[in-house]
Amino acid sequence: MSNTVTNAVLTELGKRLVDGSLNDASIMRATADTPDFAILPWANVVKIGGQSIMDRGRVALMPVVDEIVANLQRHKMILGTGAGTRARHIYSLAIDLGLPVGVLTVLGTAVAWQNAQMLQYLLARHGIAFLEPEGFPMLSHYLMERGAVICQGMPPYKLWEQNPAIGRIPPQRTDTGCFLIAEAYGARKMIYVKDEDGLFTADPKKDKKAIFIPRISVQELLAKDLDDLVVERAVLDMMLNARQIREVQFVNGLKPGQLTAALNGESVGTIIYNAEAAPRAT
Amino acid sequence: MSATLPATAHHVVSPLMGESLVDRRVLAGTETAVRKILPHLNVLQIGGLSIMDRGHSAVMPLLDEIVANQAEHTQVIGVGPGVRARHILSVGLDLGLPTGALATLSAKSSAQNAYMVSCLLASQGFVYLEAPFVVQLLPAMLAAARGAVFNGIPPYDLWEHPPALGKIPPHGSDAGSYLVGEVFGARSVILVKDVDGVYSADPKAHPEATFIPDIRADELMAMKLETLPVESVVLQLLVRSKLVKSIRVINGLKPGNLTKALAGENVGTIIRA
Repeated sequence: MSNTVTNAVLTELGKRLVDGSLNDASIMRATADTPDFAILPWANVVKIGGQSIMDRGRVALMPVVDEIVANLQRHKMILGTGAGTRARHIYSLAIDLGLPVGVLTVLGTAVAWQNAQMLQYLLARHGIAFLEPEGFPMLSHYLMERGAVICQGMPPYKLWEQNPAIGRIPPQRTDTGCFLIAEAYGARKMIYVKDEDGLFTADPKKDKKAIFIPRISVQELLAKDLDDLVVERAVLDMMLNARQIREVQFVNGLKPGQLTAALNGESVGTIIYNAEAAPRAT
Repeated sequence: MSATLPATAHHVVSPLMGESLVDRRVLAGTETAVRKILPHLNVLQIGGLSIMDRGHSAVMPLLDEIVANQAEHTQVIGVGPGVRARHILSVGLDLGLPTGALATLSAKSSAQNAYMVSCLLASQGFVYLEAPFVVQLLPAMLAAARGAVFNGIPPYDLWEHPPALGKIPPHGSDAGSYLVGEVFGARSVILVKDVDGVYSADPKAHPEATFIPDIRADELMAMKLETLPVESVVLQLLVRSKLVKSIRVINGLKPGNLTKALAGENVGTIIRA
């Protein structure tokens, strides 16, 4: 058997890809010069926090649900859910039992899934569907027909999740999963709905002197080397490499109107942006 | 936070309750020992371009060697994609598709190769397991069947990480096979390729390149070689490993190499955490 594909049908880059090693840095560089097609440039990815929103129950969640419903005619929303306190419990238990990171991801995914199911029950009367990762080819249809769709926020890595730099908690959780959905589809916005006004110089729940940061570059934020952050570190690392998503926004879901303002393009909450991003392709 | 919302409402009591899972101090507190789930497992990765695309002359002797080792060693086999993935990557890149879409597409090519390997080994009791079945059924299958074949590319699909350089999905079948070994605490992870191991440069282009039999992942990263016989992301995974502290890269075109590697003998290149 020969390895060759008829060269006549391949682009110049294609010929190099077929003949060369995918571990060759010069070929990797050449792939950077290809165009970027945004699959769903009008979609907004909205992540509903687990511990910050879902775990608080009706008093926090129903106003967010009402705000989502009010925006159904104006904005297309991919709604991802976080995990929260039950994930913290099962992570603690599984770590105590000596189970590896990949198993923790399988366990944590079930919690984000539970939250997504609950959100779907609350939005079912508006025709909003829940999609598993395998159902994502249906995404655009549901968005165009109903204005929103629900998914669980964890990336579907299962046992293939990687060890973190520190400790045993899966490093890529629901902030990262939602970010990667936004990046893959070339979404209009990535909005995180949590229970704080955005990013502070310290955890505002623990330090009353913490100062609010309305806008900061991902480069500047990483350089500060903070011990704690408003978002998973993996999101910041991936923002540096992302080709579609140039900024992410954090709003307070406990304050009615913030999500709507963010969907309308207003600079509410905190925006973290990539200061070195190339202009976005159309 | 509104005064009407008690902070402790609806919490499940646990050591991580109410904590930020981003906080380095909290994360450092979770650094404890990991149990090996299947410590007798040997994870093999059969290269796509390097072995599968060569067809009968390369594949069959290797599979014969796998079968010959069956009584001695439990083997699960990840398979890589090869030239069909290169082709669809080139078409997808030309169309401007994102890394996540490219990952979803190329994973089908390795699934085809894995399925072919499972057919060729079916009479010896090997089964083909898709990712959800690796999660649910691998231990049961290994108790009942005599080996398993899986898609070497991890099921990252649309959620594949955007790479630092270019748009090619960074987690290929080397990474996926290594991660299966790491999560189960495998005895060994052996990457079967068409070169003897790691060289100081690509030996196909530079005959003067020197062979490296034993090296640490961080040393290899620091050398910044333009080409490597393994995905560079695997070196990063090794640095953060908890259980599988080395991988071995061997030449699957040379009969006997796999048997030596399974026996723990020095063959090919060993890359250590």
